[in-house]
Amino acid sequence: MTSGPNAIECRGVSVEYGDVKALIDVSVGFAPRQIHAVVGQNGAGKTTFARVAAGIVQPVRGTLAIGGREVPVGSVGAARAAGIELVHQSFALPPSFTVAEAMEFGAASGRGVFTRGELQRRWRRHLESLGVTVSPRERIRDLPVETQQAVEIARALVTDAKVLILDEPTAVLSPSGIDNLFARLRVMQANGVTILLILHKIREVLSVAETVTVLRGGRLIEGPIPTAETDAGHLASAIIGSGLESLSTIDREALVGADDEPEHEATTPAMAAERSVPVLELRGVSTRADTEGPALRDISLAVGRGEIVGVAGVEGNGQRTLVRAVADLADLARGAIVLNGDDVTRRPLVERRASGLRVIPFERNTEGLSLSSPLWENWSARTLLLGGLLNLINPARLRRDCDDSLKTWDVRFSSSSQLAGSLSGGNAQKVILAREIDGTATLIIAAQPTRGLDVGATAFVWRALREAKARGCGILLISSDLDELFDISDRVVVMLSGRISGEFRPPYHLGEVGAAMTGAGR
Amino acid sequence: MIGPLTQVFRALVFVLIGLILCGIIFEFAGYSAWLMFQSIAEGAFLSARAWQNSLRWALPLFLTATGVVISFRCGFFNIGAQGQFYMGAIAATFVVDGLTGYPPALVIPLTFLAGIVGGAVWALWPGLLRVRSGTDEVITTLMGNFLAGLFLVYVTSGPLKDPSGTGQAASSRPVEAIYRIGAANSLSPAIIAICVLVGIGAWVLVNRTSFGVLSSLAGRNPIMVVWQGARLSRLGLAGFVLGGALAGLAGTIEVMGPIGRLSSGMLPTHGFTAILIALVANLSILATAFVSVFFGGLAAAGLYLPVLAGLPAAAIDIINAAIALFITARAWPKRLTNLFRSRRSAA
Repeated sequence: MTSGPNAIECRGVSVEYGDVKALIDVSVGFAPRQIHAVVGQNGAGKTTFARVAAGIVQPVRGTLAIGGREVPVGSVGAARAAGIELVHQSFALPPSFTVAEAMEFGAASGRGVFTRGELQRRWRRHLESLGVTVSPRERIRDLPVETQQAVEIARALVTDAKVLILDEPTAVLSPSGIDNLFARLRVMQANGVTILLILHKIREVLSVAETVTVLRGGRLIEGPIPTAETDAGHLASAIIGSGLESLSTIDREALVGADDEPEHEATTPAMAAERSVPVLELRGVSTRADTEGPALRDISLAVGRGEIVGVAGVEGNGQRTLVRAVADLADLARGAIVLNGDDVTRRPLVERRASGLRVIPFERNTEGLSLSSPLWENWSARTLLLGGLLNLINPARLRRDCDDSLKTWDVRFSSSSQLAGSLSGGNAQKVILAREIDGTATLIIAAQPTRGLDVGATAFVWRALREAKARGCGILLISSDLDELFDISDRVVVMLSGRISGEFRPPYHLGEVGAAMTGAGR
Repeated sequence: MIGPLTQVFRALVFVLIGLILCGIIFEFAGYSAWLMFQSIAEGAFLSARAWQNSLRWALPLFLTATGVVISFRCGFFNIGAQGQFYMGAIAATFVVDGLTGYPPALVIPLTFLAGIVGGAVWALWPGLLRVRSGTDEVITTLMGNFLAGLFLVYVTSGPLKDPSGTGQAASSRPVEAIYRIGAANSLSPAIIAICVLVGIGAWVLVNRTSFGVLSSLAGRNPIMVVWQGARLSRLGLAGFVLGGALAGLAGTIEVMGPIGRLSSGMLPTHGFTAILIALVANLSILATAFVSVFFGGLAAAGLYLPVLAGLPAAAIDIINAAIALFITARAWPKRLTNLFRSRRSAA
């Protein structure tokens, strides 16, 4: 099956971002005309590896050969000329372009002057040949996310690409979208393209790839090994590594998406929750349209005491609006929001917080923390807002309290006066947890609380949420990681186009939840 | 963590570079740089008389700069200190002129109140436009400066015109001696007392209240404090109004003290020098006090330059401009690197 030189060959590649070593002496080769997977945790160096191969990142050491011929490292032009195309994790097409314009933008050849109709004619056939059903007239921003990705892949193939690298292509897709993507990749493989997939779910690796390569902490752990010769358990250990034996099996599997249908221990459905007053109740909530995402349409949802309600859905289906509505940051058109039995629809966020609402926002570095402010200011903001603006404070005491609190939350820091931006992602998230999860919290909105965190920090966040739940907190967990939701939620609701399209209780079935995420089967 | 004074010291290094650059330019223009520096030093700091002069200029600058610091800390670039200074002075003059004849115990407090309110109102409308409809405050406050400057021309040659005035610049009637809080172009205990009180109050506000912490957070990341439940519009408006009020207070003091009347085109760079002071002081109140003395010294020395170095007094403006250039050049790369750092950690 393997013949000729490797499609991509890296030798001794090391990449450093300042003090951070992103890749350490990685040597690996990928055979042509196969689908290869590169797996690892967040921060293992997967994306950096993809960027080195595509010439975007300049390694400090190492060489790159494409199809047996060495190409200069750190040159996008050279890599593209040699036939490498990269589809980015976050899409890079200009939202205001039409599909045809985006295609032309990717193609290096062009006369420079053309009519719109000419462009559309030129690219319609290309799209059809790839099985992408989209009008070249449509604007990128109006396309559903799965079509956007298909267009992005089509754009990568406008030149005669021999190697296509896709960085976490499944992160934005529903389960059925993932199946479609994989089918499309197999067709391209049959046409002679070598495909390199950056993934972090073992389940997906086993279903699509022929070989798998594991990175951990910037080092090559193993690979490429044929997927036929390995199994989920082995890969999970390789990805996570040692040192996390304390994790329960179920958390371990959730972290890497190891099983097809995870066996769940019988989570006792929060029975008390249904008898007592819910900590959060949304009654027929609709919001006015704004630029930040789809409006909510008639959402009714309750979170009981000691209950974790998961919110699933393809990103951009109103999850953000839901959080903003609860936090009084979106404009309600209809409906009521009830916290602990009190109607707070017309009350500002500061009053909602006073009655126990806590928010771990989506964007840790902008909504959660002020990176250029000291830790103690970030940490004390919540409590300061409970009092008047002219209340006198004692900064020395706040710094001391902050020190104590951050220590109990296991934050690695040297001084509470250091800037929040000097912490790693996991530590920064722990600062937010330290601020938001306190004894008086009754409802915690956790929006993507583990995104971008390594395994240890992810497990830490899960433990914190479970402990808060044990104290009687209600928790609304928004996540795009179904394994995470299935692992720790008592109940999962699915959002689609601003509505709740389904509600599920354990044992969860991926297929059913996936159907609700895409609107299939209804 | 670097202390505020260390940061100021670093900023002063850039001030020094600005001075040296000016020295070189003046040297090439045919003046003696050495004589220039000498006369600046003599005019500003080398005698008791010079110190008195320096402080006469430093104290009103300190008040306005303190207001700029508070406003900038909230994250709003209210660069309208000059206009707010004028509006404070105009409002104060209307009151003191209109109430001439009443007892000073009534007139002086009312004049100060009017001056403070006048400055605050001139900051309030750009503030409201900013928080209500997102109008860029840099544009509105800058335009406000021109409006206030033209209004000053109007009132000094119209409603408040001194009919006996013979000077080049139109001006109001001189403030009656019984209402003055300081003699012409000199210091007075009253002015020093006001500045000390304002300085202490501002320091407490910035360093020892919830407002200080929250406004500094809001200044660095407004999105984060909104997610914490803060009302950004309130913090921002407070910053605008306090900034305007302090500039108005400085304007009142000039009318009631050292200048003793309102005149068209008076101290046309006061507000901008105050912004420069706030930036050099890195938005620290304590540092603002020291930096104000330095710039007050430069202002005092400006009067000596023509006499000693044969330089036009406007040379001080050139020096200030060069300093402004270096201070902003210092501030920008740092911000840019911060931006890149946060981008990278987000990636």
